[in-house]
Amino acid sequence: MKPMLSTDLNAADTTVEKAKIEVKNLNFYYGQSKALKDINLSLPERSVTAFIGPSGCGKSTLLRVLNRIYELYPKQSAEGQVLLDGKNILDRSQDLNLLRTKIGMVFQKPTPFPMSIYENIAFGVRLYEKISKAEMDSRVESALKRAALWNEVKDKLNASGQSLSGGQQQRLCIARTVAVKPEVILLDEPASALDPLSTAKIEELIDELQADYTIVIVTHNMQQAARVSRQTAFMYLGELVEFDRTEKIFTSPREKRTQDYITGRFG
Amino acid sequence: MAEHTVASFDEDLRQISRLINDMGDLAGSMVGGSTRALLESDNALAQRVVSDDAIMDARQRELDDRAITLIAKRQPMADDLRHVVGSIRMAGDLERIGDLAKNIAKRVGSVGVSTAPRDLTHSIDSMAQLVLIQVQGVIQEYTVGDATALAKLRNDDERIDVKYTSVFRELLTYMMEDPRNITACTHLLFCAKNLERIGDHVTNIAENAYYVLTGTQLPANRPKQDETAMSAPAA
Repeated sequence: MKPMLSTDLNAADTTVEKAKIEVKNLNFYYGQSKALKDINLSLPERSVTAFIGPSGCGKSTLLRVLNRIYELYPKQSAEGQVLLDGKNILDRSQDLNLLRTKIGMVFQKPTPFPMSIYENIAFGVRLYEKISKAEMDSRVESALKRAALWNEVKDKLNASGQSLSGGQQQRLCIARTVAVKPEVILLDEPASALDPLSTAKIEELIDELQADYTIVIVTHNMQQAARVSRQTAFMYLGELVEFDRTEKIFTSPREKRTQDYITGRFG
Repeated sequence: MAEHTVASFDEDLRQISRLINDMGDLAGSMVGGSTRALLESDNALAQRVVSDDAIMDARQRELDDRAITLIAKRQPMADDLRHVVGSIRMAGDLERIGDLAKNIAKRVGSVGVSTAPRDLTHSIDSMAQLVLIQVQGVIQEYTVGDATALAKLRNDDERIDVKYTSVFRELLTYMMEDPRNITACTHLLFCAKNLERIGDHVTNIAENAYYVLTGTQLPANRPKQDETAMSAPAA
């Protein structure tokens, strides 16, 4: 089934602006089972796109295809094209390490490394770049500032990353992602384990980061999708049901299935 | 429309719909009552319309409370969101219709029995009929979910505007013919203006109801033919 795109309003979002990522005829398999069915969508540059849908609809799978992290697991395969700046990242010749510096990812549960706050950020940078101590200091500081964490941790950079609160740990993970200067940031339920205040800080951060990065967020929290994203994709049973401007999706969606899901009338 | 997973959400929405229906019925009876009181110089009926306005206000406050609480508790989306926000706005227009009907009712005593001869009020009577049909129709079409009928009903307001222009000219003529008509005709002119404003509120309700049902707005421009501003004599 083809996604319904509103011709008039959505055109402004996806055709005028440059697409950072274009997904074309994407199918995904867990072994024999088909988890994504002929997905086509275009994610505009420097803008937040949300994927919503019930559990098992394929939204996290789609996110995991975007940086090929699914390849860590056997028997998972993708067909079709995912174009990053016009280049197919599913191509065998794609350098995976290079891909993952360009496309960073933050997971549902904060995953700080068992090392200091400073090292949590420096570790990733060292993998790709040789820079001086002074440059590294400034890189760590700017990443922590970018993730709105600097003021809370600047006096304890040598403390363990795991000593931070859940919300701070998640911002540390975002700082770690930002430090390697990615172009795209994938967020998989980044605030679902956080309290409302930490959630608000993450959302504020997403709002700021979209000036420089293309952001894709998977969330179960529809109000969150409505608040942070500019376009929203509703997925169901592996299909992209509807993809449109976020205001349109949450005020007058075209598809009945979208309407039923977001108003709480599903199943 | 399927039921919500949370059943009490449906009940909350039904309560809001019930209030809109009640307010619509009350608005119809107030408009009908006030014009009948005016035409028949029925002071008792006029009094009832005035006291009905307090009920209308109370209903609107109840609807506001329920709608605000529902938004806070449920964070409605899509058609639910349009329903709740649209209801708040429609209730505002219905409440204003109540006020305008009350204004007409309050003039009943001033126009007076002897000074409001039948021929002066005849054209107001037919204007009131048009307005009443609109007031009763708008909530009915919203309740049955007929967006096409609402779009038509909104355009039909033009007939009220045209009628108002002709009432205005007619009353002006009576006043010029015989200055003793001036007091009564001035009151009647205000009544006609109130009826015309009621028509405008019905138009607003139709536009809101259309948006609630379809998710799209009716085009902004509607033909307007109220020419009284143009035809008023230079003082």
